[in-house]
Amino acid sequence: MLKINNLHVSVDEGQKPILTGLSLDVPKGEVHAIMGPNGAGKSTLSYVLTGRDGYEVTDGTVTLDGKDLLDMEPEERAAAGVFLSFQYPLEIPGVPTMTFLKTALNAQRRARGEEEMKAPEFLKKARALAAELKMKPEMLKRPLNVGFSGGEKKRMEIFQMMMLEPNLIVMDETDSGLDVDALRIVADGVNKLRSPDRGMLIITHYQRLLDYIVPDSVHVLAKGGIAASGDADFAKKLESEGYDAYAT
Amino acid sequence: MTHMPHKLPTRRDEAWKWSDVSRAVSDDTRGSETASPVQVFVPTGVTVVQTALTTAANDVPLSKLATEFAGQSWDINVPAGFTPDEVIQIEGLTQGHAQITLTLGKGARASLVEHYDGQAGSFCNSHLNIKLGEGAVLDRVIVQTDPDDCVRIATTNVTAWAKSELRQHTLAFGGKLTRLETRLAGMGEAVKATINAAYLLDGKRHCDMTSYIDLACPDGHIRQAVKGVTADKSRGVFQGKFHVRRPAQQTDAEMRHDAIMLSDLSEIRSKPELEIYADDVACAHGNTIGALDDSALFYMRQRGIPLAEAKALLTEAFLASVFDTLEDEVMRESLLDKLRGWLARS
Repeated sequence: MLKINNLHVSVDEGQKPILTGLSLDVPKGEVHAIMGPNGAGKSTLSYVLTGRDGYEVTDGTVTLDGKDLLDMEPEERAAAGVFLSFQYPLEIPGVPTMTFLKTALNAQRRARGEEEMKAPEFLKKARALAAELKMKPEMLKRPLNVGFSGGEKKRMEIFQMMMLEPNLIVMDETDSGLDVDALRIVADGVNKLRSPDRGMLIITHYQRLLDYIVPDSVHVLAKGGIAASGDADFAKKLESEGYDAYAT
Repeated sequence: MTHMPHKLPTRRDEAWKWSDVSRAVSDDTRGSETASPVQVFVPTGVTVVQTALTTAANDVPLSKLATEFAGQSWDINVPAGFTPDEVIQIEGLTQGHAQITLTLGKGARASLVEHYDGQAGSFCNSHLNIKLGEGAVLDRVIVQTDPDDCVRIATTNVTAWAKSELRQHTLAFGGKLTRLETRLAGMGEAVKATINAAYLLDGKRHCDMTSYIDLACPDGHIRQAVKGVTADKSRGVFQGKFHVRRPAQQTDAEMRHDAIMLSDLSEIRSKPELEIYADDVACAHGNTIGALDDSALFYMRQRGIPLAEAKALLTEAFLASVFDTLEDEVMRESLLDKLRGWLARS
């Protein structure tokens, strides 16, 4: 599904290399975790995959189901099924959550040549998922993320993810700001989305989240690339031993 | 060419330094005596008569021009204690000079809608005198949709007596030069005013929102929020002044102007002013000029919303809040529709 080959990325107009030859495959149906020390380029990877400005790809390729992702605008990648759960979700003043999400969902559907979802169907789905995530219904009427706590914002990311049903989910530090109860609710939501047709890339600094969302593979991102890989138990080893062995 | 007894303001006049009317208006249009007929629609119970001109009670040059050339004045009268069940509409200010007086008697409540949609290439100069009797409430909506070669000066003088209230909402799209000026004199205690506006400019359009609120009595309550967006090579001007005289204790007044530049080539000039002589007041002003938030735009695009749509959604959200205080929902929705129409085009 997702194939990253020899990816080189710089910031500051090409002056500062962050990723220097990263290669990674996330096959359909698998959950891969990326762990690593601060500043290794974990968030850079999530932004390059989603097409944020300011990251210059100097070499390498990224494809999703054979399509060149790097050639697409951010909204085209979204329509192709790429979803990023942001480390710091943005507040969008003045735009009610439901308006935002309905606009997004139907823009994606239009881009894929599908029929738009009608308001009653959309509302029914939204209400059911909000209840599942134990979100207060009035949160959906408020401007997106405005005045939400850190935990509420993360829950809102999962809510959007479940509404949009993407193919490739990238989660950037989703566990930060969550207490144990919220973490469990979020993980339950994510686990429900695990399917043979869907790939997930979970970027995390701590192993804690991986107790709830058990990955198929764990990779260490250090020195601009994948420094080591292993199975779910490898995450526990990293947690106890730290990243020092890979960072130098 | 008509003899011009009053000069048009130029950049050298402080109050007009960013809106040079003399450059925008050619000699053969400024004294235009072929004013288009003003159309005033009034509900039952409200009277409207044409009278001989009265001399403007101030020395604003363009008001004098209106007095000089309008030929006649329209007097609209809402009797004391009366609440008409429909709006008063002023249309037809499409060319030349006009002078109108609207009087709300004690305790009257009325809604006024003005639509400014001038003829191509015309100069429209109107002067509206509003007198709010004690306890009177006026809901005023101005929609300005002139063509881009039209010069529009619309000056309003509001005299507000005790406990009266003005709720004014303006939606403006500018023109070759547009100036919508509101001057309010609070002549009694506990005068309330909401003076909100949104301007959306593209091409080379110019829009000037000027206001002067002069409070002479205690307990005034003023809320002013003006928001604007400028695209292409357009130019927005905001000049707001609160003048709080010594007797106007316990005045509570807030002025905000927030603007977003959608283009590096556009221009925004802003001058918020407070002049306060009373010592027990709460007066504030704020002014921001910025661009759309790139991070928010990326977030929206990541969810699949195309760039143009994301920009329109953010801009609408930014501007629409100035109409939150408009109680007439149908009117509010109609203003938002016009605003969305502009956003969809640009």
